[in-house]
Amino acid sequence: MNPEPPTGTPRATATLEALHITKTFPGVKALDDVSIRLAPGSVHALLGENGAGKSTLIKALTGVHQPDSGSIVVGGAERRLSDPSAARDAGIGVVHQERNVIRGFTVGENIVMGRMPRRAGRIDWAGVTREARRCLELLDLELDPSTPIVDLSSAQMQLVEIARALYTETTVLLLDEPTASISAAESDRLFRVVDRLRDEGTAILFVSHKLEEVYAHCDTVTVLRDGHSVLESEPLSAHSHDEIVDTMVGRALGSLTVPDRRARPVAAPALSLVDVTTTAGHHGVGLEVRPGEILGLYGLVGAGRTELAHAIVGLERITAGELRVNGEPVRIRSLREALHRYRVGYVTENRKEEGVFLEQSITRNIAVTVWSKLQRGPGFISAKKERDLVAGYVSDLDIRISSQSQLTGRLSGGNQQKVSLAKWLAAEPEILIIDEPTVGIDLRTKRSFYELIWKLADEGMAILLISSDLAEMITLADRIAVMDRFVINGELENSHDYDSMSRDVIHLIHSGAEVAR
Amino acid sequence: MRSAIRAQLTTPRFLLFVIIVVLVAVIVALKPSFLNGAFVLAPLITSIAIFTVVGLAQMVVLSIGHMNIAVGNMAAFGAMISGISFDLFGLPLVAGIAAGLVGGGLIGALTGWIIARTGVNSFIVTLAMSFALLGLVPTVYSALSTGSAFVVKPAGFDALGRDSFADVCQFGYCGPAAIPVMVVPVIVVMVLVAVLYTKTRVGRELLLTGSSVKAAEFSGIPTSRRIVLAHTLSGVLAALAGILLATSIGSFTPSIGDEFMLQSFVGPILGGTLLAGGYVSVTGTLLGITLTLVIRKGLELFGVGIETLNVLLGVILLIALSADRVREIRLRKGRTPDASAPPPSDPARSADRSTEEVPA
Amino acid sequence: MKRSIASVLRSQSTTLVAIIVVGTVLLGIASSGNFFSPIPFRTFFQFLAVPILIGLAQMITVAVGQLNLAVGAIGGVAAALSAVMMADAGVPVWLGAVVPLVVGTLAGLVNGWLVVLTRINGFIVTLATMTILLGAQYALVSTRTVSAANWAPLADIGKATVFGLPVIFLVSVVVAILVALAFRYTVTGRSLLASGDNPEAARLAGISNDRSVIVAHAASGLLCGVAALVSIASLPGINQSVGGDWLLPSFAAPIIGGVALTGGSVAVLGTVLAATVVRLVDTARAEFQLAPAWVNFVIGAVVLGTVALGRVRQVRQERRLGAERAREASSTAILEKTR
Repeated sequence: MNPEPPTGTPRATATLEALHITKTFPGVKALDDVSIRLAPGSVHALLGENGAGKSTLIKALTGVHQPDSGSIVVGGAERRLSDPSAARDAGIGVVHQERNVIRGFTVGENIVMGRMPRRAGRIDWAGVTREARRCLELLDLELDPSTPIVDLSSAQMQLVEIARALYTETTVLLLDEPTASISAAESDRLFRVVDRLRDEGTAILFVSHKLEEVYAHCDTVTVLRDGHSVLESEPLSAHSHDEIVDTMVGRALGSLTVPDRRARPVAAPALSLVDVTTTAGHHGVGLEVRPGEILGLYGLVGAGRTELAHAIVGLERITAGELRVNGEPVRIRSLREALHRYRVGYVTENRKEEGVFLEQSITRNIAVTVWSKLQRGPGFISAKKERDLVAGYVSDLDIRISSQSQLTGRLSGGNQQKVSLAKWLAAEPEILIIDEPTVGIDLRTKRSFYELIWKLADEGMAILLISSDLAEMITLADRIAVMDRFVINGELENSHDYDSMSRDVIHLIHSGAEVAR
Repeated sequence: MRSAIRAQLTTPRFLLFVIIVVLVAVIVALKPSFLNGAFVLAPLITSIAIFTVVGLAQMVVLSIGHMNIAVGNMAAFGAMISGISFDLFGLPLVAGIAAGLVGGGLIGALTGWIIARTGVNSFIVTLAMSFALLGLVPTVYSALSTGSAFVVKPAGFDALGRDSFADVCQFGYCGPAAIPVMVVPVIVVMVLVAVLYTKTRVGRELLLTGSSVKAAEFSGIPTSRRIVLAHTLSGVLAALAGILLATSIGSFTPSIGDEFMLQSFVGPILGGTLLAGGYVSVTGTLLGITLTLVIRKGLELFGVGIETLNVLLGVILLIALSADRVREIRLRKGRTPDASAPPPSDPARSADRSTEEVPA
Repeated sequence: MKRSIASVLRSQSTTLVAIIVVGTVLLGIASSGNFFSPIPFRTFFQFLAVPILIGLAQMITVAVGQLNLAVGAIGGVAAALSAVMMADAGVPVWLGAVVPLVVGTLAGLVNGWLVVLTRINGFIVTLATMTILLGAQYALVSTRTVSAANWAPLADIGKATVFGLPVIFLVSVVVAILVALAFRYTVTGRSLLASGDNPEAARLAGISNDRSVIVAHAASGLLCGVAALVSIASLPGINQSVGGDWLLPSFAAPIIGGVALTGGSVAVLGTVLAATVVRLVDTARAEFQLAPAWVNFVIGAVVLGTVALGRVRQVRQERRLGAERAREASSTAILEKTR
């Protein structure tokens, strides 16, 4: 415990080096021999797709996870970071992707939490306010430390968490996707803080999916892919935008034969949204998906894609505009209604919490949507019909199980995702919304998923595919609609040519800003 | 097939069964009077029957990951309605019992509705409901009865509560005196509840709601309605237990159900029902209740005070759960990277989770 | 901490104070002033001490997101052991007064330790320890009542008053103040709140959630011990029924007093005021010669109303905030696009 916080400038500097870090979780090698070097007075970008290992690396650097092997050296001394406060003692501050605040406390207490200033054995509340104000001033933040933290926006909470990191002597600051869910104005403010800390000599690690801001603010870069570092602590200026994207995405999917889907039949739209406004915040959204077509809905995290899916299946309310299923204007009030009345299925992005029942058998998981069809007398389920149905999907989707009574939680992520999908396929929907189907899934399973999605489309299903994996989008979709901050910026016919398509899509995302200029 | 048998042999149910058999053998060896049909076994089996229903009343809410603190008060309420039906309206046996069950069901439904509607933790809502009933029931008794008890007995009342099969004679043969008539309705109820959970769609939806409300919602299960249903069933079963207890003691009093709450948890939990929801066991509940009541009877025979039973019950509960926990940790080791689980906070959700058994 | 007048007016405590004032006036009128004469006045506060203490005991476990079903059983055993020691073993009264505090703390420690060690949910752990302790209490006193004559000096303190207020009531008030100070001015107190509010964030800030759980249960046990001591001092004798009716009121006071059941908050004043309201209801019941059962009915209804209303208000607020945020997000997006 260090009751006396450091006071001010000039601040100490140190280099953080992580060498040959390996971290294995059961069944997954999350980090494989990854090294990274953060130098004082520079901003280091850590890039990679979802599931590449970025957050695991950050957690290994901050004592949340202990690496299986490798060493962490701060300012020339090797450190064993056994828990989060050991990392803090080593001068490593972090702002995680999720907000970690105590909602019942004030801004001030959230900043000094864990190391409260004390006088004569009791908490010195005047000291709390003073110290918190000092940290806030370091960031040029005009926030009253006595404000309840719940009154702040998520972006402001994030800045408070940076202030917390500065409360103790912080020479290394790790920022995990700080700009993922905040507005452009808020990002600008964050970057002013980052630039300033850099100028004062802090070593900063910056995780982001937005390459534009990475190029604008970062000096060096490390790129992770599937737990390996494909670029290791290199100057960012040596690599072009496209090179970086290539290293992030890889061309591992290159062996996949993309079917020619240009000859697909043209039918009347199965699902259409006309000028839709929702309680989630969407505005003037228009989309059309035809039977047999895969419409990709692309956007960055927080763009409002999942929320749009929720609005379609009745989990959010549509307040203006029209939702049409097979041309008929409809009002869907619940997921049950979406499925059983309008035949709209929704494969959720949150597999573990919403997609499957981890503690239940595979049979139960797949048959849940169709029990009404498996009846043998009123309310009674025919176990045989149920088994046969499930066996059909298990073999169709190539789900690797030991028996139908195996608990779904025991399956690998990819197989769990297939169970989640099978559940909806069993209900025989005409329209299927698939939300981030391949996050955290290995390449082989990914490929079989892609083939499955094409097959479903060929069979006439209208598919709305949501993904933040651009390569996946360009591989799978027939058309790509680009969403940014709850508005559709535009739609592109997919040429399946990665280079031109990725340029066009990124361009569309930023078209809002360009119109402004 | 062999693995299926082995799976059966490692369930808590089988363990319970073995313990009960050994225990009974020991008691009989030391106190042969334990086998006295009319005076020891019949009362024992009667209380096993009644408390099994109590255990089921708790089990149905545990199945959705909720709990019912008011189970004893709901029993008192249901019994009170039956008592009023007999005493003030002179209804026949079956009609009076039906009225009591409906009363219990309505209170349960109200509880479930409040939980589903407000989203407040079931612990608190049923706790408040127990307060309310604790106040209401004695007040009604003192207003409507003399001496705070309903004593009018319709035809068949005593037969249900006190007869054994020795009183059921056919062709000159009578049944054993050790088995009370009451086991018949209780077995019927057990079978009905078991069928509900294993064979019907609604029962499975209850279990899935208990397994994960979110995933259930996302699978199109009407979770609110299932919550109301579980609490309604709990109310009906509690009322049934209260009425059966009244028939066995011979009158309806406000103190019916006083001893139900603890037993209602001990039975299902010993039997392997998960507190967190998603898995239930009817036979396990029966065995859990049987074990505790056999211990109680045994202690009585040895002249040991009832307080020892309480201590023993608590210790058994802790040991059973700790053992479960140890087994689960062993199973889970190397399965999830969840090294940082915070301490359990929500009483209803973060409970022990045995992942061993899959419902049939 | 600055607070606007409006938020003070809206707070739970203000409502409770208003209810107490109105209730007191009505009771005064109904009893034609008799309620304010010394003896009823003293009795009122005499029987307020235990509800305050057990309400606080429960509040502390709720603050870390736990609960303690064993409040009554801990208090009962603590009182019974102390009574038996003083009456049968000739333990001096001063030592007999310390026993309940030690027993309570130990029982609480065991609760907390079991929760942390086994990771079994606190409900079941305290249910089990409650059963064990109830058995122990019965074993200690069985059917007898140990008379207060065995600890005359303590019983005198139980009857003593200062400025017309019973000493034991003042003890409970002092305890309440200490609890409030502990939650405000000690690092441990703040850690308890942090663990109850957001265990993950607390852990990342270097707070041990396990320690918070153990400390909370131990403190809760200690307060049950104080309540047991107060019972010894004020009751005519100790028997197996002591503590038997503590469980429900122990939850009622914090819930009505505005403590969030999800953990992370305390309301010492609210808990004390809520216990006072419950006591008023009981007094009114006696005044109008209604059956004691009515009090439970009223409390049950009030608790249900409180949680339901609180929840409805919360949902409404969340919905409003969500809508505002969404509007903000889409309007800035549109703004940026049309700028």
